[in-house]
Amino acid sequence: MATETSHHVAMTLHDHLPMLQVLIPFIASPLIVLMGARGGLSWLIAFVASLASFIVSIVLLMEVIDGGFISYAIGGWAPPLGIEYRVDAANAFMLFLISGISTIVLPFAYESVKAEISAKHHTLFYSCYLLCFTGLLGVVITGDAFNVFVFLEISSLSTYALIATGAERDKRALTAAYDYLVMGTIGATFFVIGIGFLYMATGTLNMADLAERIADQENNRTIKAAFAFILVGMGLKVAIYPLHLWLPNSYTYAPSAITAFLAATATKAAIYVILRFTFSVFQPSFQFEVYALEFIILPLAVLAMFAASFIAVFQSDLKRMLAYSSIAQIGYMLLGIALLNSTGLTGSIVHLFNHGITKAVLFMGVGALVLRSGSSFYSRIRGMGRVMPITGAAMVVGGLSLIGVPGTAGFISKWELVQATLERGWWPLAFLIAASSLLAVIYVWRFVEVLYLHEPAYGADHREAPLTMLVPIWIMALACIYFGFATEITLGAARTAADGLLAGTTGMLESVTSTEAGH
Amino acid sequence: MVDVLPTALIFFAAAALVLVLPRSVRAPVLLIAPVLAAWQVWTIPEGQLVIWSLMGLELELMRVDKLSRIFALIFSLAAFLGNLYAWHVRDPVQQVAALLYAGSAIGAVFAGDLISLFLYWEGTAIASVFLIWARRTEGAYHTGMRYLIVQIASGVILLAGAALYWRETGSLTFEAMTLGSPATWCIFIAFGIKAAFPLLHNWLQDAYPAATVTGTVILSAFTTKLAIYALARGFAGTEILIYIGAIMTLFPIFYAVIENDLRRVLAYSLNNQLGFMVVGIGIGTELALNGTAAHAFSHILYKALLFMSVGAVLFRTGTAKGSELGGLYKTMPLTMIFCVVGAASISAFPLFSGFISKSLILSASAKEHYDYIWAILLFASAGVFHHSGIKIPYFAFFAHDSGLRPKEAPTHMLLAMGLTAFLCIFIGAYPAPLYALLPYDVVYVPYTTTHVITQLQLLLFSALAFTVLMRTQIYPPELRSINLDTDVTYRKFMPGVITLVALGLSRIWQQQTSFWMRKLNLIVGGLYRTHGPEGRMARVWPTGSMVLWIAILLGVTLLVNFFS
Amino acid sequence: MTDRPTEDPSTFSPLARLFLWCDDPAKVNRLVYGLYAVCGLLAIVDFLYTKKVYLAIEKVPGFYPFYGFFMCAALVICAKGMRLFLMRDEDYYAPRDTDSEAIPEDQLDRTEHNG
Repeated sequence: MATETSHHVAMTLHDHLPMLQVLIPFIASPLIVLMGARGGLSWLIAFVASLASFIVSIVLLMEVIDGGFISYAIGGWAPPLGIEYRVDAANAFMLFLISGISTIVLPFAYESVKAEISAKHHTLFYSCYLLCFTGLLGVVITGDAFNVFVFLEISSLSTYALIATGAERDKRALTAAYDYLVMGTIGATFFVIGIGFLYMATGTLNMADLAERIADQENNRTIKAAFAFILVGMGLKVAIYPLHLWLPNSYTYAPSAITAFLAATATKAAIYVILRFTFSVFQPSFQFEVYALEFIILPLAVLAMFAASFIAVFQSDLKRMLAYSSIAQIGYMLLGIALLNSTGLTGSIVHLFNHGITKAVLFMGVGALVLRSGSSFYSRIRGMGRVMPITGAAMVVGGLSLIGVPGTAGFISKWELVQATLERGWWPLAFLIAASSLLAVIYVWRFVEVLYLHEPAYGADHREAPLTMLVPIWIMALACIYFGFATEITLGAARTAADGLLAGTTGMLESVTSTEAGH
Repeated sequence: MVDVLPTALIFFAAAALVLVLPRSVRAPVLLIAPVLAAWQVWTIPEGQLVIWSLMGLELELMRVDKLSRIFALIFSLAAFLGNLYAWHVRDPVQQVAALLYAGSAIGAVFAGDLISLFLYWEGTAIASVFLIWARRTEGAYHTGMRYLIVQIASGVILLAGAALYWRETGSLTFEAMTLGSPATWCIFIAFGIKAAFPLLHNWLQDAYPAATVTGTVILSAFTTKLAIYALARGFAGTEILIYIGAIMTLFPIFYAVIENDLRRVLAYSLNNQLGFMVVGIGIGTELALNGTAAHAFSHILYKALLFMSVGAVLFRTGTAKGSELGGLYKTMPLTMIFCVVGAASISAFPLFSGFISKSLILSASAKEHYDYIWAILLFASAGVFHHSGIKIPYFAFFAHDSGLRPKEAPTHMLLAMGLTAFLCIFIGAYPAPLYALLPYDVVYVPYTTTHVITQLQLLLFSALAFTVLMRTQIYPPELRSINLDTDVTYRKFMPGVITLVALGLSRIWQQQTSFWMRKLNLIVGGLYRTHGPEGRMARVWPTGSMVLWIAILLGVTLLVNFFS
Repeated sequence: MTDRPTEDPSTFSPLARLFLWCDDPAKVNRLVYGLYAVCGLLAIVDFLYTKKVYLAIEKVPGFYPFYGFFMCAALVICAKGMRLFLMRDEDYYAPRDTDSEAIPEDQLDRTEHNG
């Protein structure tokens, strides 16, 4: 559909799907404010928008899951001059994850937000939420390097605001948001500097075009510097181990629904960007890239797997514990990327998805516990598994998936990662993955123990969570189990995506020619 | 092709049912499930009946052949008897755990590939620990934790072995393997932990006496025999097993003689009986494997019977320590008689079940001319009689009168013990039905004049030794005490060493840090005077150190990039 | 607790009363002599029939009685020796062990015989 002609070609609604994916929430966000909708209505708009874009994402995923491409030129301006949205298996899968999580978290958010945020802020809250959602979708769908930055800022700025709304429960949310703002901005700046370098070296911002032009410039120092800036800048958004300091506070003090949504999607979108740049824009065959991944990302990933897990073991606040466990799990994903083989990349992408749904269960479960007990400290939620058996059971499922117990989603991805390390012949890494899973056993056991093996604390509200929370929590919990058995969707999409990514620049170039020829 | 319901699911469904049913009707469900399962196991044809696809792996959930069938059958039977014995228990945790545990064990027996074997393997571990935790004391919690760690470790090693095996052979089918590669060693050790190989055995003696009254009966049936099945399936004829098994029969009997807790005495003798089966697997001839299967079958029955009778005593008196018991025959005569039946069976008296199963293994070892092994097994048989056959009934029901006058065991326990005792005698007196179930055709006649006479000689002279030692007061009295076993390494020594090292390290660390901290404090103190209130510094810290980190990381990445 | 001078054996069940001779030292002595006699008999029987066995050592007259008696005696004496360096107090591992703690009463049903 990248038309060479200047006049506008009439297209069907179906052809506009990539645009609609982002546009629906983007329009809905100001709509909420404009309508001045109170509580219920603003939630409804947000939910409908999210659901609509979820449906769009499913359609898109179906179209590209077998390895196809969709290239959409915004406003009819053909790439590389115009901005291009490009959907392939890798980002269709991400769109599916992000919009799916959002659609399931929103019903949960209804009660949770009512309890945690005063009613007068609801309108702006849902508006910000949709902006953040838009931003994440945009980051993933766009095929234009600078556009990534723009959407990244949209999502980041709204994220800062959303985290700050946690201040009604705990003032420290403000410092957390402020810290994140400072650090996130540094990360984004690094990223945009990297893109600047790329533009300097090539004169283009379209990813496919970039890929083509830098394919033979391996030794260009500007390109090398660009890679370093992009990797480190995006690494901050990913929360690579020593750059993770913003994450625990943000996740701990943000409203529960936001934590559930961000933990499942935000870092994942950032990992996607790293994937896209590492494999599609830069060549995975570039020597400097191989070194950067093997000597920097790989050790940091292993460090994250252990250091963050150890910290998680000693936490006394469930939300913070889960935040540290997220950092450890991000280690697994980076490990898969750094292995630089198809299985590793598949494992990484699947883990990204599986960990997303796993953390969604757990953080939503925490939200339900907070609703009833008022806090996520172990001392306050002890015994709550007995008075909230349905929520508790879902959290146990999530915990098992986090450990990677067979029969849960978490097992599938860890299994892939172990296979990938063995394929590379790096036995010790396989051992380390198993060993750090043991740490996960400990921290998961700790909260299971707190939830079940103590008498319920006096003074807590001894009722099960409301149905609007239980249903989303259990949808996710069942997804954890479902994707532990039915692996065709996740593994299939991830394999296609991994193969597409590993084909590197060649894959991108092919797609350019194919779209020009085909549409 | 799912035209048969995997047997394990019957138990899992029953477990789910127990959760929702009212108290009064749970106990019957606990009895009906094993009966249904046994009926299914009895009637289904042989072959690969259920295959599920997962991640491109074929999970074979129902591989039925003669070997798996006999184990599934005895497991169903054991579940039935154990649940009957636990009829009075109203604790849903124990009821559900018992069902899940039995289901997992049967599932594992029917598992045709290593992955489903692993799943059920861990299932038995996780379900069974609740039978220990259900005691709800601090000691039981810690014991359960130790038990769980060992069991999970066995599962993890099994999974590692399975992964390696897949890479090596491209197959995950669980079939006969040859020991040699890392993969097979991993699998072998995973089995070995559950089968309580020497030095890997201590979880058994640690955990079984810590379970609830009824929990121990159920525990005694499944885990170790599942491991025996797995070894028989995977490593039949592996010679090293003969020696491992021989040591296994030998060392527990020494411990059993001086152990005070009668349930732990039984745990040691359980270990010793496993040794016989392991030797049988190691020899690997048809006769020996038949012996292993037959011995596992009869062993589950008489061991359950012994645990039941000691459990009944515990249930009525609150203790199972030899030093506290004695003279109970006066008021618990039926329990005493059942205990003696169990004791006679484990000692392999003619007409009792042990006689017709253990002799298969002994004969196999003699036939293959493992003379020393045979001699060890013979010694172990005499030793078994000594500690299980005489010691258990003697110290619990006779010996000096403890003055305890508890009531006879409740009816359902008597019923469970009576049924089990009947089976022990029935099998012993009429072994043909059991022999028909064995994996290979049996051409063995246990009741020959020579065999009966030599066995009686061995046992009665062993009894004579006991009597003489008792009368000369050489026999060690029962004392309130425990004996160190290998677990002392991880329960006392290792924590001790770790504490020591940690103390040393922390002392060095403190010295070093206090030195550097003093230096640092001087600098920071200076900065503090110039840079304002402490609160602000502390607040800035995470951002500051992140910026530092991001700069360092960028620098390193650039260096790596430029010099690549 | 050990002395119950006023105990009335007739409250025991008929089955239990069959075994009351176990409390009478004279009768126990008689049982022991009986065992000696049976053992002697079995030792003699060893010479009176043809053994059908696999191993040479089994054919040695008196092998089984000898082995049974002496190995068991050795077993007990060795085990007694092991106590010297393996035995510890019951609360050695306490409180992380069940040996020194009682089973909670709600899991038991302590009923006296006459109760």
